[in-house]
Amino acid sequence: MRRITSSLVLSVTLVLLAIGLGAVPADAQTIKIGNLVDLTGPTSDQGKDIAQGRIDAVTYINEKGGVNGKKLELVSVEYGFQPPRAVAAYKKFVQDDKVLLVLGYGTPDTEALRPFITKDKVPYISGSYSGHLTDPKQTPYNFPGGIDYTSQIRIFLNWVKEGWKDTSRKPKVAFIFADNAYGRAPIEAGRAYAKEIGVDLVDEEVIPTTLTDATSQLLTMKTKDPDFAYINTNTQWVPVVLKDSLKLGLKTKYVVNNYGIDERTPGLAREAAEGVYGIQDVAYWGENVPGMKTLMDFHQKHHPNDTHASPYMRGWLWTLMAAEAIKRAGANPTGEGVKNALESLKEWDTWGITPPFTYTNEDHRPTNRARLVLIKDGKVTFVREVSVERDMKWIGK
Amino acid sequence: MTEHFVFLLQLVIAGVAVGAVYSLMALGFVLIYKASTVVNFGPGELVLFGAYVAWATILNMKLSLAVALPLTLVVAILLGLIIERGVLRPLIGEPIISVIMVTFGVASVVRGVLNMTWGSDTRPFPALFASEPFRIGPIPISPVHVWSFVTVVLLLAAFSLFFKFSLLGTAMRATADNQQVAQSLGVSVKGIFALSWCIATVVSALGGIILGSVRGGVDFSLADYGLKIFPVVILGGLDSVAGVLIGGVMIGVLENLSGGYLDPVFGGGVKEVAPFVVLVVILMIRPYGLFGRVDVERV
Amino acid sequence: MQCGDFRVSYGSDERIFETRLPVVGVVVLLAALAFVPLFAGTYWLDVLNRIGIAIIGAIGLNILVGFTGQISIGHAAFLAVGAYATAILGSKAGLPFWLALPLAGVLTSLFGLVFGVPSLRLKGLYLAIATLAAHFITTYGIIHWESMTNGVLGFNVTPASVFGRPLDSDERVFYLIYALVIPAVLFAKNLFRTRVGRAFIAVRDRDVAASVIGVSLYRYKLLAFVISSFYAGVAGGLMAYHSRIVFPDAFTLLVAIDYLAMIIIGGMGSIIGSIYGAVFMTLLPEVLKLGATSLTGVYPNAFGLIASARDIVFGLAIIFFLMYEPMGLARIWERFRSYWKLWPYAY
Repeated sequence: MRRITSSLVLSVTLVLLAIGLGAVPADAQTIKIGNLVDLTGPTSDQGKDIAQGRIDAVTYINEKGGVNGKKLELVSVEYGFQPPRAVAAYKKFVQDDKVLLVLGYGTPDTEALRPFITKDKVPYISGSYSGHLTDPKQTPYNFPGGIDYTSQIRIFLNWVKEGWKDTSRKPKVAFIFADNAYGRAPIEAGRAYAKEIGVDLVDEEVIPTTLTDATSQLLTMKTKDPDFAYINTNTQWVPVVLKDSLKLGLKTKYVVNNYGIDERTPGLAREAAEGVYGIQDVAYWGENVPGMKTLMDFHQKHHPNDTHASPYMRGWLWTLMAAEAIKRAGANPTGEGVKNALESLKEWDTWGITPPFTYTNEDHRPTNRARLVLIKDGKVTFVREVSVERDMKWIGK
Repeated sequence: MTEHFVFLLQLVIAGVAVGAVYSLMALGFVLIYKASTVVNFGPGELVLFGAYVAWATILNMKLSLAVALPLTLVVAILLGLIIERGVLRPLIGEPIISVIMVTFGVASVVRGVLNMTWGSDTRPFPALFASEPFRIGPIPISPVHVWSFVTVVLLLAAFSLFFKFSLLGTAMRATADNQQVAQSLGVSVKGIFALSWCIATVVSALGGIILGSVRGGVDFSLADYGLKIFPVVILGGLDSVAGVLIGGVMIGVLENLSGGYLDPVFGGGVKEVAPFVVLVVILMIRPYGLFGRVDVERV
Repeated sequence: MQCGDFRVSYGSDERIFETRLPVVGVVVLLAALAFVPLFAGTYWLDVLNRIGIAIIGAIGLNILVGFTGQISIGHAAFLAVGAYATAILGSKAGLPFWLALPLAGVLTSLFGLVFGVPSLRLKGLYLAIATLAAHFITTYGIIHWESMTNGVLGFNVTPASVFGRPLDSDERVFYLIYALVIPAVLFAKNLFRTRVGRAFIAVRDRDVAASVIGVSLYRYKLLAFVISSFYAGVAGGLMAYHSRIVFPDAFTLLVAIDYLAMIIIGGMGSIIGSIYGAVFMTLLPEVLKLGATSLTGVYPNAFGLIASARDIVFGLAIIFFLMYEPMGLARIWERFRSYWKLWPYAY
């Protein structure tokens, strides 16, 4: 009894201490940015790099004097990719921390928060590139941080059509996508576009959230014998799909979306990754683009022992973009001011990490250009740049 | 017709291969239950543990296979001892809901510790087997699946014999039947519990290694496999070792068949839910599974 | 039985509070609650709202598991049914909340009735596994009945409105939630002073003996499922009105485990225990978060570590409670109270 009471007292004291320490007085000279990250959930392998990228970018910006003389402060919440926690975190950001802008993360939570964001007028730069976030008439405060999934699937379909030489029939494609908001985001648009440009969509395979193995899905797909397949799933499933496909002897050529493929894919999928194409939104770590030197210097100075991959670049990029918008919004930025500032970005140079970004007040797709990459000899190699017209018909879809 | 038949056969074979892995994981569960009537609701995390430790020893610390694999198993044994002594022993005799919840708690702790130690990135798993599939007629079979099936069958045979014929095995069965009587006859009940947990963790670790090889990478989603074992053990019988293999294979095949034939009809996801539907049906008709011991109690 | 427990009438035996003081305390607490939204920041209001919802859900689960002894891991499924039913009735059928919520509760109890049927044949572990299966089947149904539920994307819920004023902020929803928490607690407390409640407890303790003396196991087991699901349905509906979105990811197996943890840590078979457990489990991640943000200043990497610490702390809390105090916080509080009540006597 004594033992229990004393441990209870101890724990209560610790709790109070933690709360007390957490109650740091607000600094009027900082600009707060909400930061949503996944460090323990299903996308944590990306989330860690993204979080590190954001933190580093903020440190870098603050070292250079901050934005308009004020320092940036990240208010970070780890939400394990569970949308309810994201909703709670968002409420905290907006109402308690009074953040100016939120660096969001995943598709399910970003899409779920759309009405709140619009009502609260909080600019939301998301890691989700869902097409549903690109129409300012519906979601004026959402800014996907990269080329949207719908444009990516259109690029894929265009690429298939352009490279198709056989005049006796139309090219056959399949979509392989995850059974969640992220996976399904571009599929409807993809179906419509395929029909429009004359590509045969012969099969759709759904990868459920607890993937054990993809054999039955791939076997079904094999009976339809598509020439190409587009993979729009969570990162971890891609190597499984590729390996199972190799094992079953499928001859389908794969194209993976930007989140599904990165420098680590060849190592994970090994031979199964050979000949796989991908659509990439950012440059890889160590690539020869203008901004890489700054990033590498920073990395050398602060944590030379870590390794980074493309999600790290994304984290930097979005933070830099947020800082730029805040700068343009003037001395006393408001949410609406930052939104307008973001929409003023025209061909804004992202240090070469991505093609230049342009947002307008009619089109929140930052770019329509991406890089086509191919895995060859165990390495991801750059093939060429690809793009698709900014057709307003596909906005918001 | 041949094309359809090949399709069917491929599904079945894939199902058998996957099912073998399920059996391996379920074996751990059954062993614990058989010896101590404790239900482990965190089998996934034990598998995860094995996979990560194997990865760490082989790739992170770059030990040779001959050292790394036994080391992984030794660590698994340690984990089993820690769990049994630290957590389960104080709870002997508590109602089943407490025991179930405590296994959830243990699973949570294992998960958190793994995350803290090695992070949750997807790690490539070393290729322990050749990946070039060999063919039986038109059907490609991956060596990994063959090896896993063989391993499972061998282990299950070994355990069946162990339980039936060895003194220790009989002691375990006796403990499961009636702890007090067994104890009065000189069986060290505590030792039996510790042994059953250690075997379970070792077997789960093996399952983790095999799963890691099959998928080529380890990440936290391996734990989701854990819940699949429930349909397996219900189908096969909670305390039947032979039932584990049959149940595992049947569930594996069922999954793949429903995936291949029903998924296109229902738009996906049937593959995952089918085993659970089967589970409910079995529970209503024959709760003790195909081979379990029938505990008749009519009210 | 402790010394000094001396009753002279049935009335005094059944009383909820033995002395006047706790009654005063409760009244003061309720009055204070009514004023909280005027002072508290939205963050803490959100936490309090979630606590309120958790209380209702936990009491429901406790009725089934703690008082009637039927192990159920399917609570998340019931919450989901309640949430989606409320959302669909409220948003798609346009019903006002005072119709949608009770109807959702009734729908969920019917659902609970169906899933309670296995309990007639299964006990203990088998029942637990069956409820696990029920969870997955329900989740599958929700995701794939896209015409009604919009599948994985979920959909937005029109806020409840009272006299035309929408309850679209935490301060306003607070009143709705706590207006329901109070009757929920009272009903449950009273339930166990009645015949039905005692029948539940009999089913838990000695079901064979109970049936011998005439307690119909069928009837009471199903009734337990029905009542428990009604609570879960209402809790789910409040979740829908609180977060104003419903989607399948909000009702994973982890949610069911969280609720089980609530009643175990709080105290199974105890109404006040359900409340303690609900408060504890809801506050735990918040405390950890606060600890994390305050430590980040010192250790930038602490952030990542604290995230995994949540799992560890959760697991350790469950293990700790089950090892040292299986009857939970309620029991700890009781012992504390009786220590002070009887001091300086030992018993």
